[in-house]
Amino acid sequence: QDSTAEQTQDDPALLVADEVFVENEERLVASGNVEALQGGIRLSATRIIYDRSTDTLIIEGPIRITDADGNVILADEATLDQGFRNGLLKGARLVLDQQLQLASVEARRVDGRYTQLSRVAVTSCQVCGHNATPLWQIRAKRVVHDQVERQLYFDEAQFRVLDVPVFYLPHLRLPDPTLKRARGFLIPTFHSSTLLGFGIKVPYFIPIGRHQDLTLTPHLSTKARSLGYRYRRAFAYGDLEINGAISSDTLKPGEARGYLFAEGAFRLPRDFKLDFDLKLTSDASYLNDYDITGADRLSSTVDLRRVRRDELITASLVHYESLRDFEDNDTQPTIIGDAAIERRFFPAALGGELRLSAAVHGHYRYSSIPFDSADADLDVDGRDVGRISAEASWRKRWTLAGGIRAGVTTNLWLDRHMTFQDNTSVRDVARATHGVAVELRWPWERTGPRGQRTVIEPLLQLGYVSGQRPGNPNDESTRVEFDEGNLLSLSRFPAADRREHGGTVAAGLRWMHQAPDGWSAALTIGRIWRETADTEFTRSSGLQGTASDWLVAGRFAHQNGLTLSARGLLDDQARFSKAEARAGWSNNRMDLGASYVLLVTDPDEDRLEAQSEWSFDGEYRISQHWSTSTSWRYDLVDRRLDRVGLGLQYQNECVQVDFGATRKFASSSNLEPSTDFDLTVALKGFSTGGSAKEFRRTCQH
Amino acid sequence: CGFTPAYAPGGSGQQLLGRIALDEPKTKNGYRFGRRFEERLGRSSGPFRLSVKIQVDRQGLGSTSAGATTRFRFVGRALYSLRDVGDPETVLLEGRTNAFTGYSTTGSTVATLAAQRDAEERLMIILADQVIDQLLIDAPRLSASAADQ
Amino acid sequence: AQGAQVSFGSMQQDTSAPVEVTADSLSVNQSNGTALYQGNVVIAQGDMRLAAPRVLVVYSEQAGRIERLEATGGVVLVSGEEAAEAERADYNIEAGTVVMSGNVLLTQGPNALTAERMTVNLETGSAQMSGRVKTVLQQQDEEQTGN
Repeated sequence: QDSTAEQTQDDPALLVADEVFVENEERLVASGNVEALQGGIRLSATRIIYDRSTDTLIIEGPIRITDADGNVILADEATLDQGFRNGLLKGARLVLDQQLQLASVEARRVDGRYTQLSRVAVTSCQVCGHNATPLWQIRAKRVVHDQVERQLYFDEAQFRVLDVPVFYLPHLRLPDPTLKRARGFLIPTFHSSTLLGFGIKVPYFIPIGRHQDLTLTPHLSTKARSLGYRYRRAFAYGDLEINGAISSDTLKPGEARGYLFAEGAFRLPRDFKLDFDLKLTSDASYLNDYDITGADRLSSTVDLRRVRRDELITASLVHYESLRDFEDNDTQPTIIGDAAIERRFFPAALGGELRLSAAVHGHYRYSSIPFDSADADLDVDGRDVGRISAEASWRKRWTLAGGIRAGVTTNLWLDRHMTFQDNTSVRDVARATHGVAVELRWPWERTGPRGQRTVIEPLLQLGYVSGQRPGNPNDESTRVEFDEGNLLSLSRFPAADRREHGGTVAAGLRWMHQAPDGWSAALTIGRIWRETADTEFTRSSGLQGTASDWLVAGRFAHQNGLTLSARGLLDDQARFSKAEARAGWSNNRMDLGASYVLLVTDPDEDRLEAQSEWSFDGEYRISQHWSTSTSWRYDLVDRRLDRVGLGLQYQNECVQVDFGATRKFASSSNLEPSTDFDLTVALKGFSTGGSAKEFRRTCQH
Repeated sequence: CGFTPAYAPGGSGQQLLGRIALDEPKTKNGYRFGRRFEERLGRSSGPFRLSVKIQVDRQGLGSTSAGATTRFRFVGRALYSLRDVGDPETVLLEGRTNAFTGYSTTGSTVATLAAQRDAEERLMIILADQVIDQLLIDAPRLSASAADQ
Repeated sequence: AQGAQVSFGSMQQDTSAPVEVTADSLSVNQSNGTALYQGNVVIAQGDMRLAAPRVLVVYSEQAGRIERLEATGGVVLVSGEEAAEAERADYNIEAGTVVMSGNVLLTQGPNALTAERMTVNLETGSAQMSGRVKTVLQQQDEEQTGN
């Protein structure tokens, strides 16, 4: 029960008017800009006759009543009790949350809670002029608005679009716009796809107490029947969400298909955090057929971590299920476990920073064939790996004369590699490796006459890592990248099963410029020379040979929202072995983003043909009501369009129409090219989506 | 030609070296960003305090005709603001920077996972270096505001 | 709309009843036929009392008849349960009306009304108030409206 309405019931009503004619003890006539205030309710009218004997107000309009919730009632004339709790209003119009308007011939107020309107037209559309027809409206013989439950009950409701009746419902219940969480249907979506045919999704929301809810979404289409479900639960120390569906369709007749994704995040005692993300699917093509996700490898993970200023503890268990038709889940590592702890110390006497860390790793393949059989990859089919490694490093920096920033880093790595079910590798090997790096940076700065700032920073690193490569297999470090993040590093392999050995020299130059009128640019160039070439580096890593490719990376940003950034690895013939670029332009009208990637042919990285692709996505607001979005992916090598998407949206104060079309051209044994269309028509005024003032149309007089 | 060494006495670098404290990190990325920042400008407790908000998105690229996504890209955005430790209300310097790192998924599952984790770690090093560059460029505005306090 | 004889009717007044005036001092002006009462002036007629610090009485041509009274300086008019206050009150006996003006406050049982001007018609007992009239309608107790 809405307590505020209760307790203000017997507050005195204040009546203000230009003129009050006190006829006698029982009758009082107020006229001229009459306003009556009672509790949270304000009433304005041209004339009010207050009859004390029957405690009623006879009110002559135009009447405007505003209640504490912001609901507005307009009427031509009315008779109400002194607390405005009961009474009859003629020619009444109820406006809820400044959005939804219910116009009726007559409205009856009951107990200050119910408003019963008869012969009603309900819409949230702007109506200009007296007899203009709204874009859509619901006409009903009777509508009851329950202010406490915040519900609208329609009897004999007829839905009309531009005054054309579309469908008829004997009874209909809709939430009033101020209702936050209520059981009921959400906005339906029409969906058509070449794989599933034409269909409709109608989500139904069921709140369970204050901390849980369940949304069931039947999806009925010509080629499939599916029930989607989403269960959410909030705990005091975390939350859980489960999404899934159960389907049967003509693509795999007679088979129950479906998927289940569950993810949760929990705060444990002593600052630990636990996340888990479970992904299951009934068959390899289901997720693409139903357009759930484009992922071609499903990873289910459990992740525990604690982050403190000087300590990082991480532990994770990952299970992979590959959906790629050429990959066999038996010979791929499907269970991967890691745990690591790192601590940072700042010894006062010694100075600098001491870092100690320890890590354990393991990955497992179901197969136990100790050699590489006829599967798609060249790795040993059944190989399982275990590793224990520890690292101690000390680093310090000084500022030498002339502003040179010098740094020394010393590392000691202890690694033990255990390999099972692999005839080609050493079973168990342990190594101690040490490394040292001396880094010199000499940044110069300049402030120009108009305030422009420029910084030039030459870099140099001399590094040495002892030892040779132990005979353990390389399962994890087969894809090495080279960018500004590891230009100055002692080992660029991504995992501890491989390290760089021998002497290296890395040199680079960084240039940054900031112009006073709001644009800025940056450029980084770098190269690495090494004593002996490392045969484990692939061609596209750019680190092959005794002199690496040139690393060139640049950035440009302008105040008007344009940003460009690119990075490339130039080989000795000045050809890119790898190039990536990103451009973005966003302002209040549009948000455009483009990406480019080029990867050279590299059999060592299972890339038998070059990979070069443009992708573009943009949103553009054409006018106050219309906005469009598009996304493209074009494969430059095969000269084919990979996917294209188009979106169109119309939105005004009472309706939001979203239309989307996507066409995917990729095809393989468990993947078919598909075209999907989506149409959602949302009637505004029944959800708490706010009144979207920025989309409100106005009447041109 | 007008260039002076940034870390020589009186250079902008001296405004920053050993004078910036970081907030307690809450995420792995925050920890790695802070580790790199303190490695280059030293750990200190003031007089300045740097607050950084890091957002990392992942984008799939390089799709083959068979529908496999062969390349992923982490796009990192860092929004930072520098304040005086004693006066948390007024912002002395603020700015934003962004960077990206990539990794391929043509390898085995465990190779892709290692490449993904390494890409995110490299992204934090690049973002930290770029924030330090930006602070070095804007450092004169720092001494200007300190002067007129 | 003469209305039944109801308690509010006490504002009704027989204007032909004798008028009794008491005051601290009186000064009569024969030339224009007026008399000025000053200091705690109280005018009584039937059960209506009008009190003010200064009342000017204007006599009509017929000897001995009072045409109208002008009370100023903060007037209180009491009649049965009703009471009204204002800065000034003009009681026109022949017309049977009292016009009160300036911060008029009428209290009528539980209700209180404020206005700039009020014209009381003594025959009907009705009152016409104007000028942003504020009325506080006190919730009537159940038993009272029951009568």
